[in-house]
Amino acid sequence: MRRFWLALFTLLLSVPAQAQDKLVVSIWGGSWRDLIAETVAKKFTAETGVAVDFVTGGTIDRLNKEKLAKGNPESDITFTTSHVGWLYANDGLFETLDTSKIPNAKNLADEARISPYHLGAWAYVYTIGYRADLLKDVKFESWNDLWKPELKGKLAAPDFDPSHIIVVAAMLSGADAAHWEQGEDKLKALKPNFKAFYTNDANSQQLLASGETPLQIVLSMNAYYMIGQGVPITLAIPKEGAVLGIDTVAIMKGSKKADLAYKFINTLYDPEIQAEIARLKKGSPAVLNAKLDPEIAKLPGVFTTAEQWKQQINIDAKLRAEKTSEWRKWFTENIMN
Amino acid sequence: MDQRPFLRIFTMPAVLCALGFVAAMAAVLQYSLRAYIPGSLDAGGFTLVNFLDLLKPLYARVFLDTVLICALTAIITLLVGYPLAYALVQIERPMIKSAMLVIIVTPLFLGEVVRTYSWIIVLGNNGFINSLLRGLGLIEQPVQFMFTTSGVVVALVHVTLPVMVIMLAAGLSHIDRDYQRAAESLGAGPIRTFLTVTLPLSMPGVMAGVTTAFAWTFSAFATPQMIGGGRVNMVSNLVYQLGLSSFNFPFAASLCVAGLALTIAVLSILGLASRPFKKMGSH
Repeated sequence: MRRFWLALFTLLLSVPAQAQDKLVVSIWGGSWRDLIAETVAKKFTAETGVAVDFVTGGTIDRLNKEKLAKGNPESDITFTTSHVGWLYANDGLFETLDTSKIPNAKNLADEARISPYHLGAWAYVYTIGYRADLLKDVKFESWNDLWKPELKGKLAAPDFDPSHIIVVAAMLSGADAAHWEQGEDKLKALKPNFKAFYTNDANSQQLLASGETPLQIVLSMNAYYMIGQGVPITLAIPKEGAVLGIDTVAIMKGSKKADLAYKFINTLYDPEIQAEIARLKKGSPAVLNAKLDPEIAKLPGVFTTAEQWKQQINIDAKLRAEKTSEWRKWFTENIMN
Repeated sequence: MDQRPFLRIFTMPAVLCALGFVAAMAAVLQYSLRAYIPGSLDAGGFTLVNFLDLLKPLYARVFLDTVLICALTAIITLLVGYPLAYALVQIERPMIKSAMLVIIVTPLFLGEVVRTYSWIIVLGNNGFINSLLRGLGLIEQPVQFMFTTSGVVVALVHVTLPVMVIMLAAGLSHIDRDYQRAAESLGAGPIRTFLTVTLPLSMPGVMAGVTTAFAWTFSAFATPQMIGGGRVNMVSNLVYQLGLSSFNFPFAASLCVAGLALTIAVLSILGLASRPFKKMGSH
């Protein structure tokens, strides 16, 4: 009996010790968690012997949880989108990064150097995706083609973030994201073509797969997933460029494992890991020295050179963080209702 | 000697829960009165601007639409649910009764998102209903159910129905059968007995069911979000769209407070209006 109690006591002592040894990574659930687990985390654990634990959740849930835990973060590393990263940074939740501790970061594309607090992990685009089998004889060479009258009641766009089409309308009106108001009338003219607004990637997939909305402003990675599932989607990159999206990585302020966190980020930027992420998600590597499979490299929305990055429409992440609410409100009041 | 020595201990959990709810509501209320700071998670100083924004015609329309959708859902659920509840009470064979009950309450065991996706499959342009209508040669072009108020209401009725049936069945089962027998012995046929005895006596159950269905529907989110596709919006969808997905928590809080005030107002009116009907049920 004494042996039993001794074993139990030892076990209880060992549980927190094991948890201490883990690096905790905050990321979206599902395929995103699996992506990191199968690539970066696997290599990181093999090299350091330190296990990686995941905290998963939606963008807003994780942001709120970390705000409440300020100073004593739940995770050591956070993956989030570039503009949401600015909300973390503005609230003092991110550590200022010492890039000398991330040697592989020297190969980052300029656009992926978001701020002193967060760096791009991979990239994708929001662009025009359509069912060519349902929209016969329609070509999309420019964003202006979305305004064609024959596309009335065919288009869907994300309801959680109208920034893409707002900035596109501003550009087509001769302005930019900071002066987006100049594109208001242009965007109002697109209203008849909207049929619905999707809530998430699954909803986007369902609307395209069923043909309910044969035309979408769609996340490239999501489109490639659907193509892999047999949905005949054509992805068009307009001559003005697609709207660049960057998911980022950062170290939480107050993390007691900052050194391990730096190693983890350095592993993330390993060219082989970046190429593997690109292969699995059909997105762009954040570094320019990743050697991609030619089949992946030629996909629309995947960039391997600095020039390709610069050809895209890049909305400043800080401006986007500040304007999101204003854009969202205007879009709800004038386009969705 | 204290006749209820454990009263304090037993009421403590309820008191703690109540305190938690009050604290949460107070937090929402104070957030609704704070200014939004672009690009920050923190709220600014006290202001009424969030509530002034709600005076825009768009928001008035969404609040009105919400009440309309709730009312439509409650009425249709009542019309569908009453015969089911009546049958459930009248049927005496336990096997059939149990089978009916299981079928009726099944929607409650499905998650809201799963249930809504199944309705997308049914209501879509290439969904079950349109395929059937096309197969029967009744239509050439699909009927648009998705992204319409009718589509949203149909899906909401599906989830509200079990609650309505259970409440109506509880009301109907409390009616003393002797009243119906007395009416029949005085020469009233089944329809007259139902209209003059059963229906009036079941009014407390009807009013309770309608009130619950209304309040239940008011907080619906995933169904209007996905079936409505951004074209049919209820208050909860606006909270998500304008508050949570764009980080404007003060405005989201003001929408919540206004939505809560509207629910209380509508339910109070419903409570007052239902008094005469409830009296019908006193026997």
